[in-house]
Amino acid sequence: MLATPALVAHTTDLDLIIRHVLAGLGHGIHAGRERGAGVEFSEYRAYAPGDEWRRVDWKLLARNDRYYVREAERDSHVAVWLWLDATASMAEPSRSVAGLDKLWYARTILACLAAIAQRQGDAFGLIVCTGDRVQFTPAARGPRQMQRVLAQLARAEAQGGMPAAETLRASLHFARSPSLIFAASDFLDWPSPLSEALLRLRRMQHDVRALCLQTQAECDASFSPDKAYRDPEQADGVYRFGPEAAATYRHNRDQHFALMTAQCRQNDIPTLAAPIEQPLGTVLRAWLRRAGRA
Amino acid sequence: MNSLWWLALPVLLLPVWWHRQRRERIKAQPLATARFLPRTDPQQLRVWEWADRMLLLVRCLLLAAVIAWLADLVVPWRGDTVLTGATTDPAWAEQQIGEAGFKDARRLRLATDDALGWLREHEREWRDGAHLLVLANQPMAAAMPRFRHSVELRSKAAPFATSEHHIAIVSPRAQQWRVMFAALDGPRRYLVDDAPNEKSELIIWDVPQAPPAAMRAPLWWIGDASAFPELRKAPSVDGLSYMDSTRGRLWGFANWPPKDADSARALFETWQRLHYAPLAYPAPSQALAASPSAPFVPGSGALRDFLAIALLALFALERILTHARRH
Repeated sequence: MLATPALVAHTTDLDLIIRHVLAGLGHGIHAGRERGAGVEFSEYRAYAPGDEWRRVDWKLLARNDRYYVREAERDSHVAVWLWLDATASMAEPSRSVAGLDKLWYARTILACLAAIAQRQGDAFGLIVCTGDRVQFTPAARGPRQMQRVLAQLARAEAQGGMPAAETLRASLHFARSPSLIFAASDFLDWPSPLSEALLRLRRMQHDVRALCLQTQAECDASFSPDKAYRDPEQADGVYRFGPEAAATYRHNRDQHFALMTAQCRQNDIPTLAAPIEQPLGTVLRAWLRRAGRA
Repeated sequence: MNSLWWLALPVLLLPVWWHRQRRERIKAQPLATARFLPRTDPQQLRVWEWADRMLLLVRCLLLAAVIAWLADLVVPWRGDTVLTGATTDPAWAEQQIGEAGFKDARRLRLATDDALGWLREHEREWRDGAHLLVLANQPMAAAMPRFRHSVELRSKAAPFATSEHHIAIVSPRAQQWRVMFAALDGPRRYLVDDAPNEKSELIIWDVPQAPPAAMRAPLWWIGDASAFPELRKAPSVDGLSYMDSTRGRLWGFANWPPKDADSARALFETWQRLHYAPLAYPAPSQALAASPSAPFVPGSGALRDFLAIALLALFALERILTHARRH
């Protein structure tokens, strides 16, 4: 049903896309579950010397005359934070695939990550930067959290600009314990409040991973020359895409992303630049692999 | 003079200009990576496209209505017409209409007898080539009337309305005065009373005693100046001294009552000219050919009420549309 990228792009049901993308994606975000003391029952195993006596199941001993120890599933202590940039520039559509835009792509890929995190039993939370404000969905586990996050993602609209640097800095306390932070943005502003926040989180020893979304037209500098353009975040003028402008465009853009990539590498933030015309599953896998954990 | 307002019509270009400019700004597409491009001059992007056509239309109409109101717009819409005066005999009018072949023409009954005067004010309401038949007791104008349409005037003089006027004579020579009024003939009839009353239009005071203070009349003829000493210092024309007093206008003359027919006629004509409206002389029936050079008089403001209502409605509509567009 969701065979082509265009069909996927036209689907608004995040659940369906997640199932479609994650089919065959067996790998998780990080090493699997640990077993041990915990709440959720997992299995019995034979008693071994050294096990705590309080973990022995006495009823089973009475029935079988053997010592069994209750093993419980221990919840993962890694929190996964999904960072969605929903500023106005994220509304940039793909010029070749109708109905596909950066926000849709970012939202869907983060939804897939949420599904993976939930499958692993990790707590996951969501940060949406939109309309000069930050919206937090605190980290939690379970299917209800999944629904909450999906609803937030589906509700996000590309509008406004980044929140002020002070606002972001003041709200970085969300990640106390070691966390995984997945940030999906176009990173057209660098340095920006977003970049400062990510670098700061990295310095706080969190695992930060960035996905830089681009469109094929941006990479090829192949915009229609007979249309006028304006910057969605700064209404300060009109731009045209002539032949001589294309060279300037390429130069400026390469310079910008070179700076961004260099800073990310310097701070050990794995970054993947992906055109949104590529299949979601491929990009998701490449992003996870980029971190060296897949 | 009013029609000079039509020169203000280029004002209509203003809303068109504003709408076009707004369109140009909206025209640019958002492009996230526009920041990597060199800025261009927006001048090159100007294209003639129309935004908010409804609003633009209403605004243009509003301005046009204002100008039309100021210029006193007249739309020629009347065709062949029969104009009938206020006092025209309907039976006679029907007969004349049949004779002149205006059976199918519209009929218009005026509130006045001066149909040609009314027609001059409203002539712009008639289409070119319309024929008019005027049936009225038309007073004769000083100059030959000229119209841009061919007008046939059929005039029938109404019999003069007789009217009664009261005159009071207080004089030892009352008989001589009465002779003068008895000789008069015409539609105005003069009734001579012995004592002044409130209906008296003329009091002839020919006694040395002063009249009672409460006695009033529009005109007094004073035969004996000793009753009105102030009349001696009054200005005079041909021996007739005149002044306005609280009792009314006073005329004094030393040699009254008039001794011969000429002086009596002169006095009578002066009196009639100055104190009574002239009796209209009916214009003879005639066909007035259309003269293309006839001057148009300024419009009669026939459409002003309608235009004012239209202005109000358009203004309200414009406000509503602007509000709706903003929200």
